[in-house]
Amino acid sequence: MTPPVEKGFRGWLHVTGGIVGVLLLVQFVTGVLLAFYYVPSVDHAYTTVSYIEKVVSSGAWVRSLHHYGSQWLSLFVFLHVLRLFLTRAYVAHRIQWIVGILLLGFVMAAGGTGYSLPWDARAFFSTRIAEGLMAGLPFVGGMARLWLLGGSDISTITLSRFFALHVLVIPACFIAVVVWRVYGANIIEIFAPRHAIAGGVVFLLLALWSLKFRAPLGPSVVDMTADYLPRPGAQFLWLYQSLKYLPGGLGSLAGVALPGLVLLILVLLPWLRQQRLIGGSILGVGLVLVVVMTTASYVSDHRDPQTSRQLAIQAAHEDVWRREPFKPATITLAATSGSESASGGPPEMYTKFCASCHGPNGEGGRQGRLNFPPLLDVSAKPRRTVDDIASLLKDPASYGLQPPMRSFKDKLTDEQMKEIGEWIVKLKR
Amino acid sequence: MMNETAPMDHERSRRSFLKLVPLGILAGLFTSIGGAAFRFLRPKLFAATDSWLDVASVSELTGVQPLARKIVAEHIAGWAITTEEHNVFVLPAKNNQVLSAICPHEGCEVAWDQNTTRFSCPCHESYFAADGARISGPAPRGLDPLPVRVQDGKLQVQYVVKEQATRA
Repeated sequence: MTPPVEKGFRGWLHVTGGIVGVLLLVQFVTGVLLAFYYVPSVDHAYTTVSYIEKVVSSGAWVRSLHHYGSQWLSLFVFLHVLRLFLTRAYVAHRIQWIVGILLLGFVMAAGGTGYSLPWDARAFFSTRIAEGLMAGLPFVGGMARLWLLGGSDISTITLSRFFALHVLVIPACFIAVVVWRVYGANIIEIFAPRHAIAGGVVFLLLALWSLKFRAPLGPSVVDMTADYLPRPGAQFLWLYQSLKYLPGGLGSLAGVALPGLVLLILVLLPWLRQQRLIGGSILGVGLVLVVVMTTASYVSDHRDPQTSRQLAIQAAHEDVWRREPFKPATITLAATSGSESASGGPPEMYTKFCASCHGPNGEGGRQGRLNFPPLLDVSAKPRRTVDDIASLLKDPASYGLQPPMRSFKDKLTDEQMKEIGEWIVKLKR
Repeated sequence: MMNETAPMDHERSRRSFLKLVPLGILAGLFTSIGGAAFRFLRPKLFAATDSWLDVASVSELTGVQPLARKIVAEHIAGWAITTEEHNVFVLPAKNNQVLSAICPHEGCEVAWDQNTTRFSCPCHESYFAADGARISGPAPRGLDPLPVRVQDGKLQVQYVVKEQATRA
């Protein structure tokens, strides 16, 4: 059943649904666009996000739309739920109410999984916190942690899991509930001018906001320093600040179990007694908690001079990073090392006499207690030119080398030694 | 009568105008994101590499049969520099000419068959003579020769990317 379209000012209070619809559309479109370049692996995720930011036309704007869109979506879904509660939708329009609550849960889940994807320092910490929150759950913590990570520790499999959840599972849930909502609604109401106008205005504001403020990208996990201070997106600041006050397992209860329980109660609200009291208490306490904790987080960051200085340093580093040219990653698809000789591999005589100790591609080796040094980057060392290596193969002792390295002057011709030398000096790590 | 129908017409035209508002807003929204999406997805063209790559020492290139060699080339594409291995054939009997192993038909890689002394394409059965000339099959031409030079006793080649090689 569809509620009658309200007229006048009260009608404008109902536009939260239209705004949520437009923001969801923005998230879908920008998310699909980002997926054209993004690679969910720990060695390339950061590079591909950097590429989107620095090289792809409109890339920084599209990523900002997606980043800030997720925060605005959280806000407007919450306002939408508040509006539904105040108009007692849980009595007359149960589907609307349940869809609203489910959207709230899915939006937070999408935000939580999305934060890990750029694989910068913030992403790494957010993944660690997600891991900690799961691990601290009573009874199921250990198992939940393993399932979330896809293994015993955070790895590239973890990133793949977050990616699959973020772009496949959660969007499928969104589509399911939105279709459920639209199925039972009057299409005229969905496309009511007020909804469209409100959605359009919010989109315009978001577009301008995203032009002015770039989505943050911290240093890569590799370049992260010990003094880096991670800060989550605005929609998770309340949780971040709350965790400061909650020891150990209580954080898991407050961050995972309690929100899950609250959403469950709200979904079941249409069938409960004392609906106004229960729903009002939950939403009221939730609203106060979010506002107070978010404010406390901003205030504590600005009050503490050390924290505020470090955050300013991080922002300055990010500005510098944005001005630097993009650095591409290196991918080796060659079966043999790119530094090998043009003939496609090590010289035949190397394979015959040297590979058993120094490895098939000069990577070094070990036999029992004997360590054989790698030959990679050996040309950077003194006395290791092609001629030196040829001479060394004749008389290793004159180069200070001890047995088991032996002379090959009776086994190799001068040309073969030179060929081995030419190959070895090209070996790079 | 006229005085009664005029407000109704006015109301009807107001309503039909209001129906256009959401459509207009949605159109504006799609246009702005659509424009960005076009720029976002537009492919970026990268210049082909013109560096000279070592193939082999000239002294080892003897005999009458084509010699299979691998070259390692770097391609800059998108967010990565890709180091890729490519097969080429050196023809010592033809003044060390170097042929690309890419079939000019659809881009599969040909192999040298010692028994029949010809190159054969595994995909669509194109065959090429020992000097790379087309014998039979759907390939429009013989195997493509690559630019070569000799530097410090090394035979070097410029690798021409597949897309260019397959163009008739």
